Amino acid sequence: MEAITNKFTIRQSPFSVAVLDSNGNILNYSNRFAEAIDEQKDLTGQNYFTIVPHVPHAFKKINKDNFGEELTITEVSRFIPLDGKPQWFEWKLSQWTGNEGQYGGIMIYFDEVTESHRDKELIARAMDVARIGGWEVDLVNNTIYWSKVTKEIHEVPQDYVPDLEKGINFYKEGEDRDMITALVSEAIANGTPWDTELRIITLKGNEVWVHAKGEAELVNGKCVRLLGTFQDIDDRKRMELKNHVVSERLAIATQAANIGIWDLDLVKNKLIWSDEMYAIYGLDKSDFSGTNEAFEAALHPEDRIMVQEEGARLAMEGALEFDTEFRVIWPNGQVRIIRSMGHIERDEDGNTLKMVGANWDVTESRDAEKRLKDLLSITTEQNESLMNFAHIVSHNLRSHSSNLSMLTTFLDTENEKGERERLMKMLLEASESLDETVGHLTEVVQVKAEASDKIKNINLFNVLTAVKKNLSLMLEEEGAVCKIDVDKNINIKAIPAYLDSIFLNLFTNSLKYKSTDRKLELKIKARNLGNKVLVCFQDNGQGIDLERHGNKIFGMYKTFHKHKDAKGIGLFITKNQIEAMQGKIEVESAVNEGTTFHLTFKKP
Amino acid sequence: MAKVTRVCLIDDDHIFVYGAKRLMREINFAEELSVFQNGQGAMDYFESNSQHTEHLPSIIFLDLNMPVMNGWEFLDAFLNIPGISSREISIYIMSSSVDPRDLERIQAHPYIKNYILKPLTSEDLEGLLKERAQ
Repeated sequence: MEAITNKFTIRQSPFSVAVLDSNGNILNYSNRFAEAIDEQKDLTGQNYFTIVPHVPHAFKKINKDNFGEELTITEVSRFIPLDGKPQWFEWKLSQWTGNEGQYGGIMIYFDEVTESHRDKELIARAMDVARIGGWEVDLVNNTIYWSKVTKEIHEVPQDYVPDLEKGINFYKEGEDRDMITALVSEAIANGTPWDTELRIITLKGNEVWVHAKGEAELVNGKCVRLLGTFQDIDDRKRMELKNHVVSERLAIATQAANIGIWDLDLVKNKLIWSDEMYAIYGLDKSDFSGTNEAFEAALHPEDRIMVQEEGARLAMEGALEFDTEFRVIWPNGQVRIIRSMGHIERDEDGNTLKMVGANWDVTESRDAEKRLKDLLSITTEQNESLMNFAHIVSHNLRSHSSNLSMLTTFLDTENEKGERERLMKMLLEASESLDETVGHLTEVVQVKAEASDKIKNINLFNVLTAVKKNLSLMLEEEGAVCKIDVDKNINIKAIPAYLDSIFLNLFTNSLKYKSTDRKLELKIKARNLGNKVLVCFQDNGQGIDLERHGNKIFGMYKTFHKHKDAKGIGLFITKNQIEAMQGKIEVESAVNEGTTFHLTFKKP
Repeated sequence: MAKVTRVCLIDDDHIFVYGAKRLMREINFAEELSVFQNGQGAMDYFESNSQHTEHLPSIIFLDLNMPVMNGWEFLDAFLNIPGISSREISIYIMSSSVDPRDLERIQAHPYIKNYILKPLTSEDLEGLLKERAQ
């Protein structure tokens, strides 16, 4: 009865289990077992090892003598059936005792674990590939377990037996070991997990970067177990460190050179600026919304369209690089010139996705370039004017001296009294002309050589009225009207003698070349412009055909009018005097309407 | 020596004009000499006489530095007179200029016969006549 009950319960078991006698013949089995080996007929009395050929080999040798102390043996076996797909089984074997306590036989249980085994195998493979090892410290029994990969990372043999202290001592002496010691102590004391990257020195003496993760298992507030993973990240870490060094170097360089880096994602309209960019644009981080529109708002209005057009042009050309310059206006009104260089990322259709570039301030160098260019052009101009000067000197001196020599030759042979007198008169005239020319030349040379340290601050209105007063007789004679519309507070930087001579010359020019059809009218105006003063000297005289004479009006000995007093020296000296005071003179004129001179002086 | 029928002198320096006239008279250089104070005066004359061969000179002495219309401006305007370039008129520049730019321009100009650097001497004029006779 008991046996039947026994038999009945085993039949119902949800596991594939069989009970064998001491010879390995089946006494009883579960229905699941029959299903598992796909047998419908009664299996009682059959030899287990014959009908289940894939039973672990070791199980076949089990008998009452070698069973030993263990109650249960667990084995995992792999079986490749005829269809070739490997299957994994977990086996459990235990002995059973007869009613009299004698060795009865064994019970075998098995279960197909192919799927879970495959997962395990994959995990193991993955850990192997990722060089992730596992470890465990049992603090109760003071045992430590290192997985195969953990041992490989430490470059220790597979039979190596670690302990906690040895494990910690693999960490590089110094900050690495101090760090892991502190982390492990903290984990044991408070259960705080750790996750860090440190260096170990392997058994073979190699330095390796590892990613160490660990956590503590606490029972009643006491740590009983530590476990974690251990990953070889040496390649990545070294790369990362190298990259870090490079990017740090780059950061130092860009910071030192004030180079801003920006990154514009056009799809998301997101503009990212490095810290230097804010300094370049004179903006606070909080004032910048990080969009392309915010960037365009910082641009100089005159350059905004240029930048947009440049963008459109680059898009049309499908360009991948750009190099441009534009001005920005700082919130305090300062205008700066920015150079922008970078790279454009496009999709297959050529649409711009992203732009990455560098900005830096080139205001100073552009200003320096401009100053240099200006200086060069002044030097060239001065050189040319010196050259002209030399030729003019030679021409004028030659013409007078050749006249003198010609006249003396005639005098030498001339006997007729009247003719001799005539020659003497001409000789006198020629020598006076020579004297006058030398006088002009001296004047010109003086202007060129005069030092700028004689420059003083002079009130413009006072100078103009003084010159006007000097000429009042002549102006009255001509019935001329002269309006000086100049603010009495305007001062300019000038050499007093030059200034007198300049205005005297302009006044007399207007008087000399007045129109014969109308009364002379003079209008003098002045206004401030930045650090300069602009003076406008206007008459309604004959005017000059500038298209014909424009380039020579300020030249030496250039006269354009048939006037007995036209010597062509006045404007040449005027120009030189103004330039000696770092000013400028320009002319505007229409024949029969009048002439306007625009003079620029420096403000004190 | 065959003297020149008509000579034209364009120069604003009246002392030089006096001297040139005197030298020409001394060596009996020309039958007739007309003098203009500057290029414009000469142009006015040539423009109204371009069709009358008998009024045109066979030699023009031209100064470069003159007010109103200088020598170069005169040359440009003169050569623009229709038909004038086919006339046999020899143009001589007479100037004190040693400016290389002037000298280069003189050399490069197809209608300028020669350059006489002032002061003018009777040797210059005699040499010129000899040249013409050949």
